Amino acid sequence: MNSSMKPKRIGIGQRIHLFFVYVKRHPLLYLMLIPGLFFLCIYKFWPLYGIQMAFRKYNLFAGSNPMDAIAKSPWVGWRNFEKLIASSQFSIAVRNTLIINGMKILFLFPLPIITAILLNEIRKIGAKRFMQTVIYVPYFFSWVMIYGIFFSLLGNYGVVNNVIAALGGPRTSFFTSLSWFRWLLVFTEGWREIGYNTVIYMAAIAGIDTVLYEAAKVDGANKWKQIWHVTIPGILPTIVLLLILKVGYILDTGFEQVLIFYNPVVYDVGDIIQTYVYRLGIGKMDYARSTAMGLFNSVVAFVLIVGANTVSRKTLHRSIW
Amino acid sequence: MSKKKNINHIPLDTSEKAAEIIAYVVLGILSLLAILPCLHVVSKGLSDGNAVTAGAIYFWPVKPQLETVNYVLTKSGFFNALKNTLIITVVGTAISMLTTVTTAYPLSRADFKGRGFISLLYVISMVFFGGIIPAYMVVRTIGILDTYWACILPFAIVQFNMFIVKNYFEGLPDEVEESAAIDGANDLRTLISIILPMSIPVLATVALLYAINYWNNYFHAMMYTSSSSMRTMQLYLYDIINNASALAESLYSTSHQGQNFAKNLTTEGMVAAAVSMSIIPIVLAYPFVQRYMIQGITVGSVKG
Repeated sequence: MNSSMKPKRIGIGQRIHLFFVYVKRHPLLYLMLIPGLFFLCIYKFWPLYGIQMAFRKYNLFAGSNPMDAIAKSPWVGWRNFEKLIASSQFSIAVRNTLIINGMKILFLFPLPIITAILLNEIRKIGAKRFMQTVIYVPYFFSWVMIYGIFFSLLGNYGVVNNVIAALGGPRTSFFTSLSWFRWLLVFTEGWREIGYNTVIYMAAIAGIDTVLYEAAKVDGANKWKQIWHVTIPGILPTIVLLLILKVGYILDTGFEQVLIFYNPVVYDVGDIIQTYVYRLGIGKMDYARSTAMGLFNSVVAFVLIVGANTVSRKTLHRSIW
Repeated sequence: MSKKKNINHIPLDTSEKAAEIIAYVVLGILSLLAILPCLHVVSKGLSDGNAVTAGAIYFWPVKPQLETVNYVLTKSGFFNALKNTLIITVVGTAISMLTTVTTAYPLSRADFKGRGFISLLYVISMVFFGGIIPAYMVVRTIGILDTYWACILPFAIVQFNMFIVKNYFEGLPDEVEESAAIDGANDLRTLISIILPMSIPVLATVALLYAINYWNNYFHAMMYTSSSSMRTMQLYLYDIINNASALAESLYSTSHQGQNFAKNLTTEGMVAAAVSMSIIPIVLAYPFVQRYMIQGITVGSVKG
């Protein structure tokens, strides 16, 4: 506020003094931070301490409680990671994570852009709003509900298989088919997310100055040319930002979906890093190796996210946080 | 407004007409793709058992009956799951809103000393994650496994939501706060009686985001709860979908008039009825909350 009146450099002692003067004047502002920080420390920071399990031979009962047991379990260096990388499940999980999320980006990323552009061409406000609303509904459904809905449609005796059978084709178990399972994930993800992302692009399109369209029209541009030369350049920053985010979060997405949809038959094509972490830890109670796998995931994900944010800041001057 | 009118006065050329037709066709297909699966499930849940088994249900109930729904509601633990989820959602959202607002307000004030450091803590916690197992060990250590608290703790403060509220507070005019300070209101009073009433739309949006997080979450309930009395809606639904056949069988064998009672109960029909019961509340609430959701997306993701 009045920083221009202050001398340019103030000593550390004076800064601490000013800080305490401020705290004394506004104690409530600091008290207010307590509830948030309390939960942040318990559920976000305390688990960070538990990361060292990845480098120990963790024994749940070595201490008076599970967290205390961590420090009392012996160090084993990188052994958990070595065992992990040697297992075939590890490379399968890494490969599946990249393939499934890659497929999702490749096939689903362009759809909401097209949808938003088309939605914008509809002149009747009522029809436009109705369709936008309808497409958006599935975003509110939980993955379990979507699983139930598609189980009902695509199960062995679901409506799709009944139609296939009526046409003389063989019944297909989409949920247990090695060739269909990934497509099932891609399709249901699209089904749920397309409306949500469309709303984002609609907002971006609404921000484009209508004068640009008029000018293009005066210059004789038809609708397609207007879309290509005005709409798409206008929403390009949003497109790039969302693409960067998608790539940045490639290791962090799809966990609940896969966890709910998959079954042992399709582990080879459906098991992703996080579901593997979950099965190792909670299923096999191999806590240390599971934590090692989780740490591997977190480190790579961290690099990707921070990288994505750097790209976003440099090219678009927008930061994720 | 007048600019838009001008455009509309110029007669539509063929490309504009073509674009609109394509838009109707594509969006029509997408809308059907969104609606028909839901319609199918609800129809199946309401249809006669024989018709369900014969695969005769498409998008409208055949020989409608409520036995399946009745069974699902009364015999499968539906209301217990609904109660658990309601408690978690209501208490959880209240706690989350409290932590979110009280954290966002100090951080939104330009004069707040330490805001850089505190913000950094929240950003760090967004990018570093301890992992599933360390988090599980924490929950186990503090002794809240198999309680509502275990389902609330993970969302007690969601950093992203907190930043949405913080950004909104920052956009409010400073003069109002300053005049409140001159009137002698303390910081808490300013927050409650000045800032919050000016922020109703964003608060509604964020509350809704939290409520949906709690309502839809499957993973935390599965990780942290084990007893059947603690089952949430999502767990209950998942169990029904995967075990409906076992349920139907146990009913045949245990019920005295099983044959009679269960004539409409098919595995497929029960799954459909349970899923329908979870779709209907959302579809009913949707028109009322839609506006806030759209706001939520736009404030959350297109911020400068």
